[in-house]
Amino acid sequence: MTVDLDKFKKPGKDYYLALGLEGSANKLGVGVIKHNLGQLSSENRAEVLSNVRDTYITPPGEGFLPRDTARHHRNWVVRIIKKSLVDAGIKGTDLDCICFTQGPGMGAPLQSVVIAARTLSQLWKLPLIGVNHCVGHIEMGREITGANNPVVLYVSGGNTQIIAYSRQRYRIFGETLDIAIGNCLDRFARVLKISNDPAPGYNIEQMAKKGKHLVTLPYTVKGMDLSMAGILSYIEVLAKDLFSSNPKKNKNLIDEESGELITPEDLCYSLQESLFSMLVEITERAMAHVQSNQVLIVGGVGSNERLQEMMELMVNERKNGSIHATDERFCIDNGIMIAHAGLLSYRMGQINDLKDTVCTQRFRTDEVFVSWRDD
Amino acid sequence: MDVVSQGAEAVVFVTTSHPYCSQPAVENDKYIIKYRPSKKYRHPKIDAQITKNRTVGEVRFMNKLEKLGINSPSVISADYVNGIIWMEFIGDGLPNGDISSVKNYLWYLEKNDDDDGCVSDEVQSMLVAVGRLIGELHANDMIHGDLTSSNILLNGKEPYLIDFGLSSISSLAEDKAVDIYVLERAIESTHSVFADSYNKWLLKGYVQGNKKSKEVLARLEEVRLRGRKRSMLG
Repeated sequence: MTVDLDKFKKPGKDYYLALGLEGSANKLGVGVIKHNLGQLSSENRAEVLSNVRDTYITPPGEGFLPRDTARHHRNWVVRIIKKSLVDAGIKGTDLDCICFTQGPGMGAPLQSVVIAARTLSQLWKLPLIGVNHCVGHIEMGREITGANNPVVLYVSGGNTQIIAYSRQRYRIFGETLDIAIGNCLDRFARVLKISNDPAPGYNIEQMAKKGKHLVTLPYTVKGMDLSMAGILSYIEVLAKDLFSSNPKKNKNLIDEESGELITPEDLCYSLQESLFSMLVEITERAMAHVQSNQVLIVGGVGSNERLQEMMELMVNERKNGSIHATDERFCIDNGIMIAHAGLLSYRMGQINDLKDTVCTQRFRTDEVFVSWRDD
Repeated sequence: MDVVSQGAEAVVFVTTSHPYCSQPAVENDKYIIKYRPSKKYRHPKIDAQITKNRTVGEVRFMNKLEKLGINSPSVISADYVNGIIWMEFIGDGLPNGDISSVKNYLWYLEKNDDDDGCVSDEVQSMLVAVGRLIGELHANDMIHGDLTSSNILLNGKEPYLIDFGLSSISSLAEDKAVDIYVLERAIESTHSVFADSYNKWLLKGYVQGNKKSKEVLARLEEVRLRGRKRSMLG
């Protein structure tokens, strides 16, 4: 790589500090990251100074509504920022820039966080950098795992995409044609009244470990794209019948081999197995298409250990395959990834004027010009 | 048995042995074996179901094509449970030794010929023939599902369709338009320099092959505007 990342360094300072604010969904995250001068490499890693997060948790059976989520973010943003600065041991004026999520995400929560970012920027006289949420995930995943040019599987509550880098853009090779995987899992959790604490997906994963019987579900892969809405409505019907007065009326709720009644754990297990098979399959297709042998999994659903295990089985069968995944600190939405990706933009001189800090609910991964890479 | 290609889903071998005859019926005859290996990451039940469904689907589709006389390899034998299809060998090698797919052929021209060679009359008549073949396919309500320049082989000058793992039957103009759109996009990304001429010729052939192409082409306009990719929320 020949990109010069230090064209905009401040005289007499040999490091950069950035604050990142993330609030595109129900997590409010704030983090401080430090880059030293020079290219990031295995010897010159980005340093995480603090990474604080607070999640808006709703009662079982309910999702998070934009209005209430935005209120949560407004109520907590000052406290979380303070804690983040204290954890990092720095003052606001030590920072080089303020980074915020510009999209994609839910409108109201995005807006309440960007207001905090604008205020701090004017208070401390710091430049603002708008960051694409997906690019934040990808850059943080690359930095933490050291994967340099992987096929990225980005799976979260609102996104399901297979991404690969080509000529300064993160290009989308495959994606969901309807709902996202996290959305599918969350909505299934609501039908079963599974707790949203710490996350519905995590609780489904724990229940799935106890599942024994596999229920056959639809399987919809279309080239490198996939569709999940049909699977969700199919399994929702099964789940509702399970709680009816006579669940045995539905033939599909009896295991063919043992004749036992299907349990909610079995449904969790079956849903995970089917959905993840589809994800691994399209990832493999994308890898064959771009002739890559590295996979990086990012996004909240990426912290699921069964998904990581399945991906590993697939990758091990490929020549020189390697898999990279992070844990919940970096997989689940966080402020540090926004700070990291934002700081990369800042070092390339990409700064948003105040009038250009409007958030957008729709912001595709491939719209971002990746100036800090030129491989 | 040599590996011809290895995709994400299947491995393709070339062999000289026939499943029934102990000796090749014709001297130097070759056959293709397409094998979908089981995937360890999938639950065995899901794996068996997918392997079987896709193999059955592909064989049925190929049989139907053969009955209709649309250029495609004919099936010799199949093992649904193990995901094996034994079929006729199609194609001949290019001068550089690659398989004679439309992709390799066009790439070969790009490398070894000047610009005029890439858009010669010969190329034009070849692509028109490909378009006509796709037109005939759609005229019979058959959808390929994964049209790319590497899924069309050249046998001499005759194009042949291969790889029907994602095929389906549909009479909807929408499905046919998407099928063409996928090919257009594939041509744009793999043969970007001459993509406009190539796509024009393909459509020219398509109109010849499919008598009811008007509705499909009108829909294609819509599909192009819409794009296959949509903007997503959070």
